[in-house]
Amino acid sequence: MSSILVVAERRDHALADVSYQVLSKGRQLADQARVELLAVVAGSDVNAHAKELARWADRVLTVKSDRLEGLLAEPYQRIIADLIRKRKPGIVLMGHSSFAMDLTPSLSVELGIPLVTDCVDIFWQNGDVLVTRSIYNGKVNATYSFAQSEIVLITGRVGEFSVEEGRRQGQVEEIEFAFEEEFDYKKFEGYLEAEAGGVDITQAEVLVSVGRGIKDKKNLEMAEELARVLGGVVSCSRPIVDYGWLPSERQVGLSGKTVQPKLYLGLGISGAFQHLVGMKGARMTIAINKDAKAPIFNVADYGIVDDLLKVVPALVDKISELKGKTE
Amino acid sequence: MDIVACIKRVPDTSEADIIKISPSQKDIEKDRLVFKINDWDEYVLEAAVQLKEKLGGTLTAVTVGPKDWDEVLRRALAMGADSAIRVDQDVSAEDPYAVAIILEKVIRKLSYALVLFGAQSEDFGSGQLGAMVAEMLGIPHATLVTGLEAEEKKVHVKRELEAGTLQSYTIELPALLTIHTGINQPRYISLGGIRRAMQKELQVMSLSDLDLSLEALTPMVRLEKLELPPKGKQAELITGAPEEAAGQLAKILKDAGIF
Repeated sequence: MSSILVVAERRDHALADVSYQVLSKGRQLADQARVELLAVVAGSDVNAHAKELARWADRVLTVKSDRLEGLLAEPYQRIIADLIRKRKPGIVLMGHSSFAMDLTPSLSVELGIPLVTDCVDIFWQNGDVLVTRSIYNGKVNATYSFAQSEIVLITGRVGEFSVEEGRRQGQVEEIEFAFEEEFDYKKFEGYLEAEAGGVDITQAEVLVSVGRGIKDKKNLEMAEELARVLGGVVSCSRPIVDYGWLPSERQVGLSGKTVQPKLYLGLGISGAFQHLVGMKGARMTIAINKDAKAPIFNVADYGIVDDLLKVVPALVDKISELKGKTE
Repeated sequence: MDIVACIKRVPDTSEADIIKISPSQKDIEKDRLVFKINDWDEYVLEAAVQLKEKLGGTLTAVTVGPKDWDEVLRRALAMGADSAIRVDQDVSAEDPYAVAIILEKVIRKLSYALVLFGAQSEDFGSGQLGAMVAEMLGIPHATLVTGLEAEEKKVHVKRELEAGTLQSYTIELPALLTIHTGINQPRYISLGGIRRAMQKELQVMSLSDLDLSLEALTPMVRLEKLELPPKGKQAELITGAPEEAAGQLAKILKDAGIF
């Protein structure tokens, strides 16, 4: 293996957080194997990003193009595939973002190279790279190896790899790339932000957050009542928005909001990682869930394994009672 | 508009606290698990049926798996699919690339303007299959689609990025989309639908019907082992009857200065 290549991703003219995370992991893997760490960034204004990436990478490859607006997977695929064919890195690493989900599967087919997505660990064993994924709702870890592949494509889970300080001054190399097609079969029309409504859950000190375990829309009243006695607001996990029970502005997680309340009280939330990355900054986390194996109990400070429909009304009563004593 | 919808069956592990790894360390013990249609695929079928109702055309549901997997095809037929194909091959141990090879062969035999997949599966969740098949078919794709409007020759889609941002694309047909949860509200299946579904014939294909052999499916990724994840920080559990536990929790919250 001659090198490891990290494909950096830009969002709103900044490098995506997950790109720093996989860059740090890539640096570590490259140091352990004593190979070069390459990073590639493509877009119309890449100079500042290249300098940033060079703090970790030995060599940063930049591709200047004004045809990459809207994160269209196809032009990126042409650029990255060409680069991989020419430089033959042993590992190509990317963050498991929405963009990577659009790009990496077709890239792997075009190049005929294996792909493992959303990895929670990437490590060397006897000179081979192995990866671990989290499967079956976070309840099982699966470790994979790659059979006789010269080049492997890996995406790393968002928030899973810590960012180490970058202290290098790698070289920056500009790459020329000319597109041979127009991509007119797919047109980028624009970005859309979720509509802002009346409640900003990122400002709340107490969040009573509901998940699939709430079972019925009418049980939201119970959560509202608990939020009211605690002086907080109700937030939720993705399924509740999918069902149309709460607007998307209330959603905590990767595709929703990142929150850091004083108290995060999860009701019937299992704790899929996409949800947990959005609330791990909470100072105190409490989970009420029937499923004792729910991953949220691995991050919560306190937990009650029981039917929330029984516990929540009782909790509202007890809190009201205690409040009555002080007032 | 002719549509092909690719769907799968998964064990429901969302509330299962009895997951056991098999002695081989290559699989989990599934005999006590309940199986169901993949969550994302319900949204796929609803999206497909809505398009068919609006624009006409045929809807074909496809799956790859053993006989038990017929139940997800029956569900598709009950929701409004015209025909259903099962490739009779257990691919639970294969990587997505191998499954993509099979599905490409099936889809090439069918008439299609739009191919729909779930954005990912509940069991392995690799989210690779749809975009792989699109590349094999040589058609454009968009993954994680949460908004879809179709015309005769093109689709307008919204796909989800992180932190509440969406992007919108117009894509010429034929195209492949992977559908995300929340794009619609999947309908309940009527009794009439179930009755009609039971009368329809399921087409079963073998690998040899597709000019494929097991050797062609040799995975590029090899499963080494399954294990239970390391335990994180474990929550301090408050036990007792609901009133008792609630009382203790209320006290903890009060002591923490929450109220």
